[in-house]
Amino acid sequence: MTAIAPGTATPTTYRSPGTVIARVSARRAVRSGVGWGLVFGLYTATQALTYATSYKTLAARRLLVHQFGSNPGISALVGPAIRIDTVPGFTAWKCLTVLAITGAVWGLLTSTRLTRGEEDAGRWELLLAGATTRRRAAVQAITALYAGLAALFVTTGVITVAVGHSTKVGIGVGAALYFTLAIVAGAAMFLAVGSLSAQLASTRRQAAGYATALLGASYALRMVADSGSGLAWLRWATPLGWIEQMRPLTSPDPWALVPIVALSVVARAIAIYLAGRRDLGASVLADRSSARTRSSLLTGPFGLSVRLARPSLLAWAGSVVAYGLLLGSIAKSGGQIINSSPTLHRVFVRLGVTGAEAYLGFALLIIALSVGFVATGQLTATRGEESAGRLDNLLVRPLSRTRWLAERLALAGLAIAGAGLLAGLATWVGAASVHAGVRFGPLVMAGINIVPPSLVVLGIGAMVFGVRPRLTAPVTYAVVVWSILVEITGGVANVSHWVLDSSVFHQMAPAPSTPPNWTANVVMLGVAAVGALIGLAAFARRDVIGE
Amino acid sequence: MATPALKTIGLTKDFESTRALKDLDLEVAPGEVVGCLGPNGAGKTTLIRLVLGLLRPTRGRAEVFGLDSQSDTVAAHRRLAYVAGETSLWPTLNGEETLLLLGRVHGSVDTAYRDVLVERFELDLTKRVRALSKGNRQKLSLVAALMTRADLLVLDEPTSGLDPLMEQAFRACVAESRDRGQSIFLSSHILSEVEVLCDRIGILRAGTLVEMGTLSEMRHLSALTVEATFTGAVPDLAGVPGVSMVVVHGSSVRCQVQGSVEPLLAVLAGAGVSQMLSREPSLEELFLAHYGAADTSTPER
Repeated sequence: MTAIAPGTATPTTYRSPGTVIARVSARRAVRSGVGWGLVFGLYTATQALTYATSYKTLAARRLLVHQFGSNPGISALVGPAIRIDTVPGFTAWKCLTVLAITGAVWGLLTSTRLTRGEEDAGRWELLLAGATTRRRAAVQAITALYAGLAALFVTTGVITVAVGHSTKVGIGVGAALYFTLAIVAGAAMFLAVGSLSAQLASTRRQAAGYATALLGASYALRMVADSGSGLAWLRWATPLGWIEQMRPLTSPDPWALVPIVALSVVARAIAIYLAGRRDLGASVLADRSSARTRSSLLTGPFGLSVRLARPSLLAWAGSVVAYGLLLGSIAKSGGQIINSSPTLHRVFVRLGVTGAEAYLGFALLIIALSVGFVATGQLTATRGEESAGRLDNLLVRPLSRTRWLAERLALAGLAIAGAGLLAGLATWVGAASVHAGVRFGPLVMAGINIVPPSLVVLGIGAMVFGVRPRLTAPVTYAVVVWSILVEITGGVANVSHWVLDSSVFHQMAPAPSTPPNWTANVVMLGVAAVGALIGLAAFARRDVIGE
Repeated sequence: MATPALKTIGLTKDFESTRALKDLDLEVAPGEVVGCLGPNGAGKTTLIRLVLGLLRPTRGRAEVFGLDSQSDTVAAHRRLAYVAGETSLWPTLNGEETLLLLGRVHGSVDTAYRDVLVERFELDLTKRVRALSKGNRQKLSLVAALMTRADLLVLDEPTSGLDPLMEQAFRACVAESRDRGQSIFLSSHILSEVEVLCDRIGILRAGTLVEMGTLSEMRHLSALTVEATFTGAVPDLAGVPGVSMVVVHGSSVRCQVQGSVEPLLAVLAGAGVSQMLSREPSLEELFLAHYGAADTSTPER
């Protein structure tokens, strides 16, 4: 410390201290927006260019239309395939739903983290003690999020326009920007929804949970609307449906922007209104400060883990069941389409399966991809216990680190296995309800078949947690998101098998359309076990560290 | 000699580029209350986390009742209880659930004493941790540690966030534990707390123990302050053995005496003293003597 001579010290004045929250939040939001804009732009570019080079002839493109053009199953999952015999049509079909959902997830995570997350961490208390009010702080943070949105739009837009300019692709500037607008619409709406749920909920996790539930419901409704069930009007009842209704690159309908803008503006306005009315750290939806003692689970660290994970595991179980029922119940129509398409039918007959089973194999892959997030969620929660310092309370008592982590991983493994089993059962119930003619045994096996890939994610995550704890969340999320992108892209484009093999889901057989590959499953279990063991050994030998 | 409750041998910890703790040797005898003073960043928390086995030492080791903190962690933890300065508990559990869980993980709880503690600290156990203030969370953590009646209490700035009344209650609890024969290792930067509670005090500076002993030993080793007012002329004290820092102010003088006071008394006796005051240095003065008023930062390695 240097001594300061009396009289020479002048108080440092910071540039407009009243906007410090806005500036800090904007910097983080913009950084994240640019990063995801790159992902969005490059994903779009890859889809457009791959299509342009892989499907050069009219015949090849017609075949694609024949395969996917009127398949209600695929339409239910990723949206209707309109004019996919053209580069723009195909690009829109492959990108729109996937990127809109990714953008929505980005929006709700970013908004809840930069508002409620910062508040939970107590950082606003420091800033609010300065020269600003609570409402102004909320306005600042929420406004700053739009800088991130702008960054996302600009980055995605620049790449899309550039790719569209290529003669092979041929998408005009206006069309490219309208398309970018549609992609980013999910982020815009859920940025606002996240800001609102951050005001309603009492913790960041809870806030993200509310917003995710809305996104899930929105996706489920859109699925029903797109499954060829005559309920297409339902598209107007869901945010993801509105985005689809914008129909970029095919037959644009700008009217769909009305509900999108309305939701964004109204949710944002309510969020700001509520922010000025509640206390710092408090929530609008009643969060009882007292609670009846329920000690039956709290017999030890494992019981505690169950208790803490219970809300999110129940939510997962509910979603998997709902998803399974839904996909099962459209299995018949999905299968009929496959059967009525001579090319597809020939392929599947050779594999010895009926149309519904072929369709369900694809449906269960989609559930498998989502179950990957059970693994990431559990790993993030495990690291969260450590980084927040709550784990210290257990480890300073007579409890070995190895036992604690092993139990945490066991719980996560059980949750994943349970999700697989539920997926199989629910899909069967859904399929049986429409008499799709699918047998019980194979479908339950197909449910169990989706378990190993997520266990691999868990094993890799456990290893990272042991060796580089701070990277637990980023690495495990990256593994799952990358694998999902590979699976989605790999289905249509010609991708090197090295890339395909890098997906944890790639060795999973598409049961029930083919029998489960038990050899591959055993290998995956082995990989998961080795990862977990390395993680356990490393965790026992390292420092317990906070954020 | 009985196995020490806590012992560190050449304990060293490096964090990337800084050395947080250097070759620390420390011992807490059974039944002893030892305090550890030091400003923020001196290494108090690092020391405690090493003792608890939460951090791995770069070199050296720590033992709790002869049990190694790294290889015998679980056995060592059966003998101790710990309170952190910043307690982070599970926000969705209520107070009773928290105490139940932590008690079950520890293995044994004096339930009657727990009820006494809850009353003494005026805790509302039905409230969720999320709804508790920082001070109340701290109290919950204190009760969770004290209710185990562990042989060694390791307390890292345990009273942060407590109001003065609760701090009194805390001191009473520590005295009680000491009277029961429990050993206590307490880190703090509140001097009065350490002064009142501790048998021996260590001063930690930049990862090294710069002083260790009882308060009277430490006082004995350091200088006595003497102030005297004279009826006549002020004598020259500069040459008197053991005397330093002489300040003359009108007809009075202030100086420091190291070692025997006899030579100084001999001079004063012959000079006509009208008033004389002598006092031992306070812990604060001892503490500041080790740090200097401005130099409290941790030097880089």
